[in-house]
Amino acid sequence: MNRDGATTLLGYLAGFALLFLVWHLAAVLLVRSTLFPPPWPVLERGWVLLEDGLLQESVLASLRRILQGFLLGSAIGIPAGLAIGSFRWVRLLLEPWTEFFRFIPAVAMITVSVIWFGIGEESKVFLIAYTTVFVIIIATAAGVGAVTPDKIRAAQCLGASRTQVFALVALPATVPFILTGMRLAMANSFVTIVAAELVASNDGLGKMLWDARLFMQIEDIFVALVTLGLLGFATDRAFRLLIRAFAGRYNPTM
Amino acid sequence: MGGAAAYPVALDGGWRLALVTLEAVGKTFRGRTGSWEAVRDFTLDLAEGEFTCLLGTSGCGKTTVLNLLAGFEAPTTGRILLDGIPVRGPGAERGVVFQGHDSLYDWLSALDNIGFGLRLRGVPKRERRARAGHFLAMVGLEGQGAKHPAELSGGMKQRIQIARALAADPRILLMDEPFGALDAMTRATLQGELTRIWAETRKTVLFITHDIEEAVALSTRVAVMTRGPGGTLKAVIPVDLPFPRDRTSDGFMAVFRQVHALIHAEIVAPPARAEIDA
Repeated sequence: MNRDGATTLLGYLAGFALLFLVWHLAAVLLVRSTLFPPPWPVLERGWVLLEDGLLQESVLASLRRILQGFLLGSAIGIPAGLAIGSFRWVRLLLEPWTEFFRFIPAVAMITVSVIWFGIGEESKVFLIAYTTVFVIIIATAAGVGAVTPDKIRAAQCLGASRTQVFALVALPATVPFILTGMRLAMANSFVTIVAAELVASNDGLGKMLWDARLFMQIEDIFVALVTLGLLGFATDRAFRLLIRAFAGRYNPTM
Repeated sequence: MGGAAAYPVALDGGWRLALVTLEAVGKTFRGRTGSWEAVRDFTLDLAEGEFTCLLGTSGCGKTTVLNLLAGFEAPTTGRILLDGIPVRGPGAERGVVFQGHDSLYDWLSALDNIGFGLRLRGVPKRERRARAGHFLAMVGLEGQGAKHPAELSGGMKQRIQIARALAADPRILLMDEPFGALDAMTRATLQGELTRIWAETRKTVLFITHDIEEAVALSTRVAVMTRGPGGTLKAVIPVDLPFPRDRTSDGFMAVFRQVHALIHAEIVAPPARAEIDA
């Protein structure tokens, strides 16, 4: 495990080094424009923003919104998905909802949400929850459906009640699916928060991008982009670790 | 194994109270494409401590018989009694070992899989672990308790399934071709282990198989079914041979031949009377 971890870390470091190298070469040799700065000045600018505390502020503002909306969306999505997966009549009742709203992207809901909730926190939290909830519902319901009948029968002939079958078999068997849904939803959240903050916000990474565009601070734009990439990468790895803890033992591809 | 194991001798003809009674049981499935008869007029008694193999060709309905007895399906006709009480739905007094190892809980260790039935009854963790450990050792997996199903081979998973079913202390153990998916060597090993475990626990067993040699090697009697659809009981052959079974002995061969003749008649379908006349 330790050697495995070290190999992974080395591989990732090399991958990032290559990314920055390609970026550098592209900027210095190919594009040669002030509109596409090489990595070094961007990192320098990022350091300055960190020292001023401005970057942390934006990151925290965005992450807080993501976390709140994501938790709200999960809190609604997981029980709803479990119910849809467990009971046919709930599925028939709620499928029109999921299949309807799933195709109205969160970005399209920005205008409505700003009209409803203003440009403050509520509109962002609403949008993140919105973008999260349907992905999680669908993943969770699919997970419940994928529990093999033998697992349930085995519990029944060991004396399990209906509640026990649900809590001790169906639920744990569904956890990897729920986590996969959350992982996808988290990626959606990053897309949505930037879009929402671009349109209407007083702080956050999206606002930082917008302001930098207004004032033609090209390095600031790139600092925001790199930060988004790194944050997304980190949260996705965290989810993968979680999924692996539950599912990796029997699904090495996760 | 150590020491001379006391293998029970098949009691033949002696009067014993039936633990399980299947009385003229029939099962017809109704689907979109019409109804389909899986089992017809099936009658069989299982006595306490007896190891019965239910043998039949593929599609004869033998697994349906097990599913009815386990309570996964309800019979269309007839009735199934356990200790004189009609079977309604699955219950802990009828343990099942499934054909595939899909039924193990991937998120639990081998030991926790075995202790699952005890957990359902609220047995405290310490006691559960101890009792599960006993059955882990019984199936020959001492020291492997911390492993998860994905880390175990197919044969080991079937051992865990057997231990899990036994740990819940059922009145009868229902085994649905549990070694069907294993390679020949592993299968032979597990057959030997099962004989030893049966001798230790004296459980009543109903073992489904389509393998004649397996049936004769394991059981105290072989129940042969006619071919499907709508299979029924054809004959019950007592296997009055000492355990562990010597598969090359004359006695074994004689029973094998007898069972083989019964099964062979089901595989090679006799032509219908009309065809011969024509």
